[in-house]
Amino acid sequence: MTEHIDALIVGAGPAGAVTARELHDAGISVVCLEQGDWPDYSLARSGYPDFELGARRHWNWDPNQRRGAGDYAIDDGESDVTALMYSGVGGSTVLYSGHWERFLPSDFRTRTLDEVGDDWPMSYWNLAPFYDEIESAFVVSGLDGNTAFPEAAPLELPPVPLNRVGRLGAEGLAAKGWHWWPGMNAIATRSVGEMHACGQRTACPFGCPTGAKGSADRTHWRALVRDGVDLRIRSTVEQVVVDAHGRASGVVYVDADGTRHRLSADVVILAANAIGTPRILLNSADGAGIANSTDLVGRRLMMHPFGNAIGIFDEDLESWRGPMGQYLHSLEFYETDRERGFVRGAKWNLLPSGAPLSMMLPGTWGTEPVWGEDFTRLLRERFGRSMIWGVICEDLPDADNRVVLDDRSPQTDGIPGVRIEYRTSPNTLAMMDWHLARVEELLQGMGAKKIIKNPNLRGTGWHLMGTAVMGEDASSSVVDPWGEAHDVENLFVFDGSSFPTSSGVNPTATIAAVALRNARHLVERRAAIRRSA
Amino acid sequence: MTAVNIRIGDGERPIELGPERRAILRRLANVLIPAGEDLPSAVEVGIDAALLDQVLTVRPDLAEPLGHALDDLAETPANEIAARIDSEAELAVVGLVVAGGYLMSQTVADALRYPWQGAKLVRPDDVFEAIEAGLLDAVMERGPIYRLPPDAPQDAVEAFNEAAQA
Repeated sequence: MTEHIDALIVGAGPAGAVTARELHDAGISVVCLEQGDWPDYSLARSGYPDFELGARRHWNWDPNQRRGAGDYAIDDGESDVTALMYSGVGGSTVLYSGHWERFLPSDFRTRTLDEVGDDWPMSYWNLAPFYDEIESAFVVSGLDGNTAFPEAAPLELPPVPLNRVGRLGAEGLAAKGWHWWPGMNAIATRSVGEMHACGQRTACPFGCPTGAKGSADRTHWRALVRDGVDLRIRSTVEQVVVDAHGRASGVVYVDADGTRHRLSADVVILAANAIGTPRILLNSADGAGIANSTDLVGRRLMMHPFGNAIGIFDEDLESWRGPMGQYLHSLEFYETDRERGFVRGAKWNLLPSGAPLSMMLPGTWGTEPVWGEDFTRLLRERFGRSMIWGVICEDLPDADNRVVLDDRSPQTDGIPGVRIEYRTSPNTLAMMDWHLARVEELLQGMGAKKIIKNPNLRGTGWHLMGTAVMGEDASSSVVDPWGEAHDVENLFVFDGSSFPTSSGVNPTATIAAVALRNARHLVERRAAIRRSA
Repeated sequence: MTAVNIRIGDGERPIELGPERRAILRRLANVLIPAGEDLPSAVEVGIDAALLDQVLTVRPDLAEPLGHALDDLAETPANEIAARIDSEAELAVVGLVVAGGYLMSQTVADALRYPWQGAKLVRPDDVFEAIEAGLLDAVMERGPIYRLPPDAPQDAVEAFNEAAQA
């Protein structure tokens, strides 16, 4: 017997969580299918000697390495950047560092302002009320009044502390006269509701053991399940079913036992991230693909090439401690200045360097040999005395950067894995070099005794966007400005796949805000939905 | 923050890390992490003994690739060990086990005065101390630094201009 519900959500990450809350509260029956499992926080071992070794297995950002429930093969041999994600309740917020950034007004108008990319079919000010609303749900902390943004609703939680690392960074930026602002993070700085105050264990991206980081499993799903939302874990969607009228009518999914089910719904909402969502779309219609008359499904993949500059100091900064959320950020050089030799910009954020193993393995901290007599020397030099300036570069959409089904890969529950093809553009490469040179200049001014620059790090594809682009024009976009597929009525994409451009800041805030905007619009027009026959 | 990934085993081929392989590990570890800077060597803290057992308790998936890597490196001259571990993906597991195990040692942690990642509640007051010290004065005096698109709503334009003139 085929089940039928009002709304079916695929993916229990931040977009799926926000959507489920909105629809459920409006009285709409919801089933969410999540191919992974609940995070097992008994494996979050920060504070214990085995923390780092265990984290490299259980909280590994690369699904090819982690091989957890719900992970599928991603061939990244033709990509400059490795795609990172978490399959499970909470999605990749389980692994993010909680850096909470709104996109800037110019991010929504790159074509108008800089003649690159595409303008969004919404403005910053269209999205601002949804940012305001979503931030308390994700326990966002920070300091009001940041001059890099229009005025926003006050935050309920104060910012994370600066500690010695942040104070030194703030002094360095102030000395240069460059913009900085205390970090905005989805990290509870005091206990609120079911969330606990941060314990500063530098564990944000490795399973927060405290329950302070605003990951969607903790901020949304526990309560949603208590409220009666039907969340089905280890349930892998194979394809979206489209009826004879061209409307989405449900999905076929495979449960943990390998049993195939058909679930009927009035609307299907994909929120499986910018790799998983195109994977399902391309695999639907028995592999012929749906919603793809433009051939844009899977294309325009954006991943935010990331680099960093590490500063090592003589003084003890106690830099193994702290939130791995950002102490502070700088948007001094975010907006376009063509005299720099590129368009668009990058965000800088300052982090503690954390636990010791991460800085003592080859290839992670520059090219200096670590073995032999160098090991203890470098350990003494780096541990507790270092800081990391991260640089997130905006990458512009390019149709050749894409996700495709990989028929050669091992199939997971009947669905092929994917192959990603991604090349970093000359604009982004120039941007990275220029920004790292400025960070180097900053660190020199701060008195760093050694500076390690790591441009274009490969294993940093946390920010996945663009593979089912939204737009008004059905001939040049996959979904409309409210997330509904131009080609398939009642099929929606609510995750970062729909982003026309990527900005140069962390995308989770915008993923959540766009999902809330879309979900509310869906609720408002529910009476107009033409149900599948 | 960048993770170094290694090839991990599928657990289908159990492998014994007995005395012979531990002896190889001991020889490699002596080369990779000798004593220095008032820190012990990896062998001194038992990387080939109890520490190895602890590593494999946490990461049983490492046993198989480690065993094969030790076999591969058994005859490698001391002066070539580090280069091979750094350049051959199958051998990176040796570096991970030796460094990872070494940094699980309480003796090493004590020498580093490292209380693991012990919790310390946040104290946001220090942000306000930085503000009182004037570290944000120039930023606030400069006013808004974002760009207004030409279609920004009128009230947003007015708010921008007001902040810029404040």
